[in-house]
Amino acid sequence: MTLRVLDPRQAPQGDAMRMALALPSLDGAIVGMIDNAKIGTERLFDFVEEILRKEHGVREFIRRRKPDASRPVPPGMLAQMSGADAVLSAIGD
Amino acid sequence: MTRTEGFPGERQMSSSAGYASAVLEVADAAEANELFQRKGWTDGLPVVAPTEDAVARFLDAAGLAPGDIIGVEPVRRRSISAEKLAIAAVMAGCLPEYFPVSVAIIKAMCRPEYALHGSTASTGGSAPFIVVNGPVRLEIGMNATHNALGNAARANATIGRSVRLVLLNVLGGFPGQLDRSTLGHPGKFTFCVAEDEEDSGWLPLSVERGIPAGTSAITVMQVQSPHQIMNEWTHDPREILDTYASAIRNNMLTYSIWEGNYAFVIPKQHREIFAAAGWSKQNIREYVYEVARVKRGDWRAVGKAAVAGRKDEEKVYCALRSPDDLLVVAAGGPAGGFGAIVPPWYGKKSLAVTVAIDV
Repeated sequence: MTLRVLDPRQAPQGDAMRMALALPSLDGAIVGMIDNAKIGTERLFDFVEEILRKEHGVREFIRRRKPDASRPVPPGMLAQMSGADAVLSAIGD
Repeated sequence: MTRTEGFPGERQMSSSAGYASAVLEVADAAEANELFQRKGWTDGLPVVAPTEDAVARFLDAAGLAPGDIIGVEPVRRRSISAEKLAIAAVMAGCLPEYFPVSVAIIKAMCRPEYALHGSTASTGGSAPFIVVNGPVRLEIGMNATHNALGNAARANATIGRSVRLVLLNVLGGFPGQLDRSTLGHPGKFTFCVAEDEEDSGWLPLSVERGIPAGTSAITVMQVQSPHQIMNEWTHDPREILDTYASAIRNNMLTYSIWEGNYAFVIPKQHREIFAAAGWSKQNIREYVYEVARVKRGDWRAVGKAAVAGRKDEEKVYCALRSPDDLLVVAAGGPAGGFGAIVPPWYGKKSLAVTVAIDV
């Protein structure tokens, strides 16, 4: 005699995600930066931007700040990032 | 279809009873518990084996089919099915008649204003605080008096736990994975109270929040740990509330200054003082709204001088956006001037939600 019990976990939903291909070079690239609205993010991104510009030749930055750290990026803001070759999303807590 | 898992004696297969969940065969309930513990599918406490028959009884109690969607977590778009919620409720030790309460709680927590994802993932570890109103409290034997926050009654303890098991197994809120809480607090295991409507002349919380009188309902709010206060030395309702408000101000300075929902759990000994003075819950809310305020510069006294001076230190911060932000709950034993404030997870990022229980 055995007991039949049900698996409590939720099976994965939606299409499988995959990693984007790495850029061959940042030289001349456009980089998006999504500030998660935490207190130190702006300062952190200032440093990162300087490094990417001076040491890696990034040409342009699209920087936006989320209205709320605990909620997703608004669709309009995400659309603005579509022109970037790569996007950074970070918390500076 | 049968495949072998990595544990002795365990086989996993598809259900033939209409469930989407995989079936695991184990020797008995004790082995089921050990299996779930090894898999990490629990909150660390023992679980009841979610057999196909047990899950069916829970679904029947709420008139639900396994595939019915109770709610969708709005950020990661994870659906919470009746089947998975019933499995969690069985595991938690609920009885089938409790199940409509768990269903209502999950519906409420999936509302966008509850911010279920953000509050589950936050380093500021918080838990859902559940208040049950209406006839269902008595029908399922919930406790609203002695040790009201301590979960001595099966219904209080297991309903709250069923929600926790959903957060873990369905939403993936395991500590260190989705749940990034630095500390969390004991209310994460379960934090479910009933309001003592029979021994209070006040309107029930649910009625104040728009649910018709006589209708069972839940209110859920994402909270930090409760903080007990004590004042047995006055019959002045203002002085009693000054003690509660002081605890709020302390929370604003030492934890989060931002406005949002707070809850008060008010025991009978304090309720008698308010009743004698003719104070309603609304009177309480209006008084607290005026006094639960701090100045930004007060941060200096609690070691936060570095941030106090970034803006005008004379700026006044109120704990509540309006008096309505304060949830007043009658609960607790008959003796003792011990009440509690229950602070929000993080200001107004998550708001309390009240929904009727569909029974």
